[in-house]
Amino acid sequence: MKLVIEGNHAVSYGVRAADVDVIAAYPITPQTQIVERLSEMCATGELDARFIKVESEHSAMAAVIGSAATGARSFTATSSQGLLLMHEVLHWAVGARLPIVLANVNRAVAPPWNIWTDQNDSLSQRDTGWLQLYCESNQEVFDTTIQAFRIAETLRLPVMLVLDAFYLSHTCEIVDVFDADEARDFLPRFDPPEHLAPERPMAFGNLAGPDTYYELRYRIDADMRRGIEVVREADEAFARRWGRRYGLVEPYRTEDAETILVTSGTVTGTARAVVDARRERGERVGLLKMRLFRPFPVEAVRALLGQARRVAVIDRNIGFSIGGIFAQEIRAALYGVSRVPVFSFIAGIGGRDVTPETIDEVVDVATSLEAPDRDVYWIGVKDAELHAART
Amino acid sequence: MTPEEGGSVLSRRKRTFDDVREMPITAVSEDDMTWNRTGSWRNVRPVYEPKTSPCIAGCPAGEDIQGYIALSRQGRFDEAARRILERNPFPAVCGRVCDHPCMSACARGAYDESVFIPAIERFLGDWAIEHDVRPPVAEAVHPHEVAVIGAGPAGLSCAFYLALQGFPVTVFEAREKAGGVLRHGIPEYRLPRPVLDAEIARIERAGVTLRTGTVVGRDVPVESLGDYHAWFIAVGLQKSRPLGIENEDVEGVMPGLAFLEAVNSGRSIAVGRNVVVVGGGNTAMDVARSALRLGATVTVLYRRTRAEMPAIADEVEEAVREGVRLRFLGTPIRAIARNGRLVAVECQEMELGEPDASGRRRPVPVPGRTFTLEADTLLGATGELPDTEPFAALAELEGGLVVTDEFGRASRPRVYAGGDVVTGAATVVRAVARGRAAAQVIAAELTRRDYRPDAPRKVVAIADINTAYFERRARTPQRSGLGADAPPRSFDEVHAGFTCEEVRRELERCFSCGVCDGCDNCYVFCPDVAISREDGVYTIDYDFCKGCLICVRECPRGVISAEREAH
Repeated sequence: MKLVIEGNHAVSYGVRAADVDVIAAYPITPQTQIVERLSEMCATGELDARFIKVESEHSAMAAVIGSAATGARSFTATSSQGLLLMHEVLHWAVGARLPIVLANVNRAVAPPWNIWTDQNDSLSQRDTGWLQLYCESNQEVFDTTIQAFRIAETLRLPVMLVLDAFYLSHTCEIVDVFDADEARDFLPRFDPPEHLAPERPMAFGNLAGPDTYYELRYRIDADMRRGIEVVREADEAFARRWGRRYGLVEPYRTEDAETILVTSGTVTGTARAVVDARRERGERVGLLKMRLFRPFPVEAVRALLGQARRVAVIDRNIGFSIGGIFAQEIRAALYGVSRVPVFSFIAGIGGRDVTPETIDEVVDVATSLEAPDRDVYWIGVKDAELHAART
Repeated sequence: MTPEEGGSVLSRRKRTFDDVREMPITAVSEDDMTWNRTGSWRNVRPVYEPKTSPCIAGCPAGEDIQGYIALSRQGRFDEAARRILERNPFPAVCGRVCDHPCMSACARGAYDESVFIPAIERFLGDWAIEHDVRPPVAEAVHPHEVAVIGAGPAGLSCAFYLALQGFPVTVFEAREKAGGVLRHGIPEYRLPRPVLDAEIARIERAGVTLRTGTVVGRDVPVESLGDYHAWFIAVGLQKSRPLGIENEDVEGVMPGLAFLEAVNSGRSIAVGRNVVVVGGGNTAMDVARSALRLGATVTVLYRRTRAEMPAIADEVEEAVREGVRLRFLGTPIRAIARNGRLVAVECQEMELGEPDASGRRRPVPVPGRTFTLEADTLLGATGELPDTEPFAALAELEGGLVVTDEFGRASRPRVYAGGDVVTGAATVVRAVARGRAAAQVIAAELTRRDYRPDAPRKVVAIADINTAYFERRARTPQRSGLGADAPPRSFDEVHAGFTCEEVRRELERCFSCGVCDGCDNCYVFCPDVAISREDGVYTIDYDFCKGCLICVRECPRGVISAEREAH
């Protein structure tokens, strides 16, 4: 059934299709509509789930940790400060191997207060052990929500799906949705061997000394690596059933490209238009959309970028003093395998518009050089000295 | 090595692993925690200790107010009424005329407004009448017969509780009808006679024999009471204290009690246009409001000020609302008569001096300052006196009052006394309490048991109530039973009783102080899951209770106490 809905509601419909058992959330802009719609679905019986109101995001995550520990399919959503408040328990969800799905609407971190999009909130959770998938369209949001539960329950690791504030969360698009009955074969009931049940008492999170903790962490790392295949398998199975696929990454006109842009989230759509325009002018420009951030698709990145002349990564985030976070990951993936220079461009932080002109400037700067002449390029920054030095 | 496949099967006893595949996916343990009894960390323990609600502690008769409210909340009105009847045979009467010290003690008073307990009691009393609710009567009949002298609240209570225990009881009453002060003292607008009659009828049905119109010492010689195994003297206070003024014997000057008795027995009585009532107690209010209903303009003359008035504050307020005038700091000194009939009262102006034995400031005359009030009738209500001469042979008297110990035992064996004749002028509920207490003592002594009063339980402190769990809600008001006329001209009952809907609303306001109502807070809040609940009973597992006392704090009603551990 096709609906015209905003990205937040695409998450809600995805959660409905996944037939979750428990939702716990605390409202925060720009996420609120996700759980608002879900609470309505719970109230009307459209979705047979327990909706737990809590007093903070830490409690929201703690609540779904508890419900997931009983084997209940559990979901929460948040943004920015809310995700940061969850940080401690994000680790817990991973260590306890609970397949929770969290929708994070990317929003800049305070201070100063800013409700617009950038990725520093979710990327700050890089090493918690959560899988992370970044979405470009509302349809992808809906589809990824359902895939996320399958991935999480296969790996028994939590999955975060990420969408841009406002550009997706509050923008309406046509989304082809389906309901839980249609999704049941793709997403069967989850029945973990260890779960909390009164008839079979069991303690979770007990002490594990140096003799066992090490192996438990090794196991998470191994399962996270296995996640590459699990994400691919979920996407393939989804494509067989509904005809839509997204891949771990999505290459666009990269075959003979000398310069390959790398983007994530909604910047991708703009970049695609710039690539088309440049191609019409005969420039060999391509684009790689990063959908999967954790586990990091190292092999795909090497295969798709290793042969280019230059790579220009556009990051809507900043690893202070070292450049964009995606850029760092890509440099690390290519290190020792390819000598392709990786440019790190920063754009769109705090919700600043990333226009075709912004991306044109990225291409112009990258193609004017054989290799980066600095660690990081802040596109469009209001710094007269910096511009004077360049020209 | 990839651990994809194995490792999800738990081994119950295995604690060391040679390979990651043998391990569970996360740290889980199927062992129980009995090896780690964290209760040993505790230095203070929570204990369920039901306590007495302040209202119950405040009730002289010890009515289980919290208990009957809890039953009523479940709609179990029969049981609730029976619960009152265990302590007081007069719920419908006391629901109307009691000075309700329970309500002054109510913890809710410190939060918003105290629970309207008398209105609830009245509802249940009326319910009991309407549905013929009776307490169980013992099947065994004791051979010991008891004589009760005086069919007022004390005498009837004593008789009722003896009869319920199977003792044959005869009550001797000088007047034609039983009830004592309830019948001849309290006006109908506060206590309709059908209500009183119904509650007395229930006492008779419990097996009490009433011999009314029988004056002990005249119709029945005191000596003939020797046939009984015990006597309970409860004759109350019979006479108004004389005003002690000049010309007290002129026509138009009358004792307040005699006036009330005349009005209450339906005799027509002319009071003229202006009535002056002397006194500041409940009798003065009853006299004044009765006179008002006969069409007079009524002035209450009191020698102190409103703050010192011993009358129930609500009664004073209602009297004023009905049109009774209050004249303070004055006392009558002379009745002024014309042609042998009262026309005015000369009064001495007073001022407040040093506090007296009652703690109230003593009124003293202002030299040379007098004033005059026009009066067709002057009614004295400055106190009542006993008339106990016939009983001098039975019991030691002091100032006309019978001397007893705290359980009502008089100076001679087998003689007991209670009510106003022992305490001096008090209230209905105190007379009821005395009557019931004496019944327990008499029953014990006649069957040669030691009488042991109930051990006092701890009363909940208002500070132990966690009011965060209660919403503020105003008291449910009692509707007027009268028309819009002011001043009222009839003896119709002033207040209408609660409807079912009103009583339910008011019942919900009870905090249930000190008594568990199964709210589950302790069960929910215990961070160690050391509290379990089975069939509505909570149990603390001290093997795992660490003594954090969160349950004590989160109990809304102070049921759980903290005790220091001995170690």
